[in-house]
Amino acid sequence: MKPFHVSDCTLLTNMSGLPVAVNLRELRDRIAICSADVLYHHFCETPLVPFFDNPDYRNDFAVWAKLHLNDRVLAERLGIIDPYLFADIEILRSQVLDIIDERLSEVQVVPTALSGSEFYFLEATTVVFDTGNVIEHPTGLRNAILNMTNSSIYFHFLEAKRRPPVCIDDFSAWLADWGSDFEPYIQALRSIDLMFLSLAELKNELTTVVAMQGE
Amino acid sequence: MGRKLEAYEGIVGTAVIRQLRQLGDKLAGKRVVHVNSTREGGGVAEILAWMVPLMEDLGLDARWEVITGSGDFFSVTKSIHNGLQGFPLTISSAGWQTYQDVNAVNFERMRPLLEDADVVIIHDPQPAPLLNLCSDRKGKWIWRGHIDISHPFRPTWKALKNFIVGYDASIFSMCQFAKTLPHQQFLIAPSIDPLSDKNCDLDIHELEEVRARFGLDPTRPLVVQISRFDRFKDPIGVIEAYRLVRRVIPVQLVLAGGGATDDPEGKAMLNDVLEAAAGDPDIHVLLLPPDAHRTINALQRLADVVIQKSTREGFGLTVTEGLWKGKPVIGGDVGGIRSQVVNYHTGFLVNTPEGAAHRIRFLLHHAELRNNMGMKAQEYVREHFLLTRHLREYLTLFHQLLSKREEKMFYV
Repeated sequence: MKPFHVSDCTLLTNMSGLPVAVNLRELRDRIAICSADVLYHHFCETPLVPFFDNPDYRNDFAVWAKLHLNDRVLAERLGIIDPYLFADIEILRSQVLDIIDERLSEVQVVPTALSGSEFYFLEATTVVFDTGNVIEHPTGLRNAILNMTNSSIYFHFLEAKRRPPVCIDDFSAWLADWGSDFEPYIQALRSIDLMFLSLAELKNELTTVVAMQGE
Repeated sequence: MGRKLEAYEGIVGTAVIRQLRQLGDKLAGKRVVHVNSTREGGGVAEILAWMVPLMEDLGLDARWEVITGSGDFFSVTKSIHNGLQGFPLTISSAGWQTYQDVNAVNFERMRPLLEDADVVIIHDPQPAPLLNLCSDRKGKWIWRGHIDISHPFRPTWKALKNFIVGYDASIFSMCQFAKTLPHQQFLIAPSIDPLSDKNCDLDIHELEEVRARFGLDPTRPLVVQISRFDRFKDPIGVIEAYRLVRRVIPVQLVLAGGGATDDPEGKAMLNDVLEAAAGDPDIHVLLLPPDAHRTINALQRLADVVIQKSTREGFGLTVTEGLWKGKPVIGGDVGGIRSQVVNYHTGFLVNTPEGAAHRIRFLLHHAELRNNMGMKAQEYVREHFLLTRHLREYLTLFHQLLSKREEKMFYV
């Protein structure tokens, strides 16, 4: 069986070049044309960028709808979207646009942000590097996770779902090669609810569920 | 002599240090030159004082150069600085010529270093013309804007932009500060050094010595604003807020700041503050020398509430410093203060002296909440605003620029 090579990554955010959105209609129009990387950034890369660690919602669109459009209905509808359930980011885009279109059909006045609170469309570059650490056997997974950085966790457990095989994290893909003995590990990893976990919390959760399977 | 990365292990953890070493290994030997306009005073000099030694510790050939100039030059660059922050000041063509001439003299001194560098980072507007002077450059040039230029005085930005457009990339502290430019614009928030004299732990004797030195009463609450005497830091507004609080609580106020060699306006502002504070023994206006870092550290630690009531702000490192010391911060609702101060979690954002007074009173009346907010504030800084995160983002940027890769994700 192949060992698991632990990678790490760092993220650098940059401006996407899209104009800012001042109101909900502009947000909709920009989301319709922005690159997949922009959409991915605002949905999935949020745990890696500086942001207060106790937001109501995990994606930037829902946060903006709540804080700056003062549209809590829209925030709730956008906030429940789990981007990792979508195998194709274009399907995610369609769903977001559908939610916004529905909201635009409901409101009498287009929700608008105050000056200075516009939505900025960002994206990020990810640099990946080999840490040199190797996990030889699934029984070493828990200790290896304990020693990983939060960004390693992000790369192997969250970002991995965007790479082929899509929607599968690197740990589960590796464990699948070890046969049915480790199927419970995969099921345990699949059972983690990502929505409200910071990367540090996710790391704790991963070590807990992996340790429970080893007992 | 700068510190080694391992000195920070106890604060940020082993994994974070190991990650930086792994990123740095692949950049070993790269020549990186930072250029700014002062070695002392202000957030940029403080950042470079730790960043350059740590880059060297990672194996990069990092240098820090400072441009020098006459009083006329710094008057012009101060006007540019103020113009970029929205203050309508017309700069004459002679002023712009002085700006370019002084840069040309500095360029000749630095020419070999700048021509051979793999990466040159030009901090703020003062040395921006160096790029156009360096026609034989080999490396990548980055312009790093530290200040809030979201609403500049248009003629100032229009003129300065001519010096910026040729850079390979620019860096801003927040997306709100970025301008439309024909190159990639990266976002990197600044940070603080938790082991510097300004931020390290201090023992109780040192705190009490500072308290006694400035005649502060240990039995009464203390509000502290640390910043340059600059109109955009609104020290007069802080005094107004203090007077509103003072009607009901016997609070003391410290307004403390140093001068910077590139800030000729500071003296005039200081005089205005002294005049506003005249006759009140509980307002302590302190002009501190540039090396009074431990004194500033102590004043922040002695404070019950830290305030930074800016009306324009770049990132606001004094806010970060206050949060790191476990103090909730009352900050102006502008610039980078918005990224750091979260209402009811790490402090309060305010827009007026009245708002500041209201929140000072609230915090002074809620000691337990104040302590809880302070603890949360320190953890927030540990995660996001310490120098290790800052260094990591610079290394990531160097990898991207030097590898010439355009994919969203790539391996090094």
